[in-house]
Amino acid sequence: MYRINNYNDTINLKLENMKLLRSLSILIMILTIGLGAVSCKNVSDADIQNEAQVALNANPDLSGVMVTVLNKVATITGTVEDEATKSYAESTVAGVENVVSVVNEIVVVPPPPDYSALDNAINAGLADALKDHPKVTATVQDGVITINGEIRERDLQTLMEKLNALNPVQIVNNATVK
Amino acid sequence: MTLSEKYKELVDIAINNKLSVNDTGKVLRIEGEVDTADIKDKMWEIYKNLDPHFKSNDVVLNVKSKVSAGDKVKVVTRESRLNIRQGPGTDQPIVGKAEKGDIITLINKTNDQWWLVRDNDGEEGYCYSQYLEPVN
Repeated sequence: MYRINNYNDTINLKLENMKLLRSLSILIMILTIGLGAVSCKNVSDADIQNEAQVALNANPDLSGVMVTVLNKVATITGTVEDEATKSYAESTVAGVENVVSVVNEIVVVPPPPDYSALDNAINAGLADALKDHPKVTATVQDGVITINGEIRERDLQTLMEKLNALNPVQIVNNATVK
Repeated sequence: MTLSEKYKELVDIAINNKLSVNDTGKVLRIEGEVDTADIKDKMWEIYKNLDPHFKSNDVVLNVKSKVSAGDKVKVVTRESRLNIRQGPGTDQPIVGKAEKGDIITLINKTNDQWWLVRDNDGEEGYCYSQYLEPVN
């Protein structure tokens, strides 16, 4: 009997344990679902990413910057014109709620210099500079004067002095020196 | 050899005369104003010795000699007489001519290319500045 009772007690004990476990697991499930629902609503990576991208897009200087968020870590990529803008992009994203850190992979690409004003100034002075050298032709691009045609050796320095005085970036002398 | 080394003689004289020297690696730029036309001429002589036909395309030598309104300037054309024009430009009518070697008066520097001058007959007009150099 004892052995049987003991056996029943063991079964009863197991049943009690199972009930307790079931209650516990239900409780855990409720908690998990509850927490999951909260996290889905407020801090999904996709939501953080959207918010960060909106913040970046608000600034035209940051139009070349993209952000991706993984586990609340934002990674920013793309190109900007200077270091200050690169830092500004980082602080913009760091300021977005729930972003825990920012990996800044932005590349700084300075804009090409604008030579149009210099080219105009050189072109304005070129006709007068070439007037005494009718066999020489010249073109101007990005501040570089390129001369072609032909010139007498004794006139070459005079011409070069005139061209240098136009303050070009470079003079490319393709003229034939006679 | 860097450009500063290649044109060391030019760089030295430039530094002595407090000119701006900038070696970009592709082009050596020397700019500024020197006290006399002699220094400018010397620099061009050095440059020409190092690159006789100016074919290296690696120097910009933009050096002007100091001159102010009222100073005397000398006509330094190679052989011909220098046109004195009504306005600043080769499209302007010629109002007079100055002989090579003439010393005339600078009234003002209209721009880098064109200077207003008075010749020895009292005639006024514009000359191309590269053909004028200050008399010191």
